[in-house]
Amino acid sequence: MDPTLLTLGALALAGAAATVSGCAEDLESDVGSQSNPNSQVQLGPQMGNIHRYFNKAISGEPVSYGLYVAVAGAVAWALMNGGYNPILGLIVGSGVGAITHGAYSLSAYLGRIVGQSKNFNQPVYMDVISTHMGPMMGHGFIAIFTMLLAAYLATLALGNPFPLPLVALIFGITVGAIGSSTGDVHYGAEREYQKYAFGGGIPVANQGDIDIKAETGIRNGLDSSYFCSRLGGPLTGLCFGLIIFLDGWRTVTGNIIGDLMGADLVMKAVIAIILGTLLVIGAAIINRKVEVYARNKYGPYK
Amino acid sequence: MDISSIILPLVEITLAGAIINASVHFVPVGGAPAAMATSTGVGTGTTQLAAGAGFTGLLAAAGMAAQPGIMISNPVHALLIMLSGAVGAMIMLGLTMLIGQLIYVYGVGIVPAADKCDVDPITKDPQSAFITPGTTGHGIPTVCFVSGLIGAALGGIGGGMAYVGLLGLGFTIPAIAGVLAIGFFFMNAVLASYNIGGTIEGFHDPKFKKMPNGVIASTVSSLVAAIILIGMSMGL
Repeated sequence: MDPTLLTLGALALAGAAATVSGCAEDLESDVGSQSNPNSQVQLGPQMGNIHRYFNKAISGEPVSYGLYVAVAGAVAWALMNGGYNPILGLIVGSGVGAITHGAYSLSAYLGRIVGQSKNFNQPVYMDVISTHMGPMMGHGFIAIFTMLLAAYLATLALGNPFPLPLVALIFGITVGAIGSSTGDVHYGAEREYQKYAFGGGIPVANQGDIDIKAETGIRNGLDSSYFCSRLGGPLTGLCFGLIIFLDGWRTVTGNIIGDLMGADLVMKAVIAIILGTLLVIGAAIINRKVEVYARNKYGPYK
Repeated sequence: MDISSIILPLVEITLAGAIINASVHFVPVGGAPAAMATSTGVGTGTTQLAAGAGFTGLLAAAGMAAQPGIMISNPVHALLIMLSGAVGAMIMLGLTMLIGQLIYVYGVGIVPAADKCDVDPITKDPQSAFITPGTTGHGIPTVCFVSGLIGAALGGIGGGMAYVGLLGLGFTIPAIAGVLAIGFFFMNAVLASYNIGGTIEGFHDPKFKKMPNGVIASTVSSLVAAIILIGMSMGL
């Protein structure tokens, strides 16, 4: 088969895997209240809001996801080099990554909540542990497996020279940075503060006054994933998928255009760089359009 | 190993550290407050966002360096590796800021507004009237977006330059050069985040004036790192 077609197929599959990965990663961080909004969950009991949120952030989302995926990548790589089937390696590696994630989550939750029990009367709810661990490890497994698949495709078919564990580490840190920057905003500013009027930032005076009541009963992390799966999660997935796809697309398209022109390696690289720059300029223009839309639609603060 | 093959990587690695440090100061980061739409910028930590963009750039740079026919000793090829890194990092940060902006506007319902300037230096739009009282701005206004793109480009160039320097030192196995480049990038990004101390909106933020301190610190530490790397490459 034509190598260009194979590369394009691998690119499409890597982009699709990355999209699922970003979505699962964000929803997992919403169930576990990881990354930035966890500061509000941490602050809640001090403001008198005894809650049933899971709270597990200690080292930050990018670093912890870098760890899980690098562990999974290292196990998968070792199995592949041991002669096992790559698919088996990816699955077993992701399983080990998910177990690492589970161990981390349990110890992080107990450490965080027990630290608040004495002074702020925040109980350790054992049923929160038993109900949340499964969804977190499940979402985590999907995120790790799909990210590992994208990393495997990057090393196998997309010409990346780094070994699988290193690409996996880089993807893990990148997806954590994206999830923390995009999806968590929806969970933090919108979901945790729904009793305040929609359409403004959260004033500092309201911080820690998180919502502890859900549509039915007392709110917990599982409600958050249901809510965030409509906007925050999919957009996070779209973001990571687009990054993986477009960064590869500019190189592949540069090569295709270069071949048509009969250009050399330098010219192909220049075309790829120009295409990438055009994509970035396009993003800046859309960003400006959205900004102008918000200004016209919502107007100045009254 | 002759002296000329040591001096060039030494200069490249030292300069790369200074550029990476400078790049982080351009990235609009609001930390946890930005995730609560209480502060302008992207809602994550300085080091983490800069590292996410820089590492995507590093992947792009390494992909370019691994193309058959690319010679590190050729200055045009070295420049292409750095520019590839810059574009990769810009795509990562540009899309992250854009999707973050969509969630701010359509999910949270805020108007992007910068607190550290009365008028956006690029679009000339007034800012203060759109800021929710009790917050220090929210979202990613145009000036922050452009500043972030400049930062990402510099970060990608710096990461690519460090990678080129490491390859030039003889760390030709991509895995080893990659691991060393990642450690080197983190070192300089963390130094920059100490200098920034939490949040920064971009080049219009008063904290941006502290950049020379960070760049000097990174230059010194990168020089030390480069000397250690040269020792490693010589088998010391």
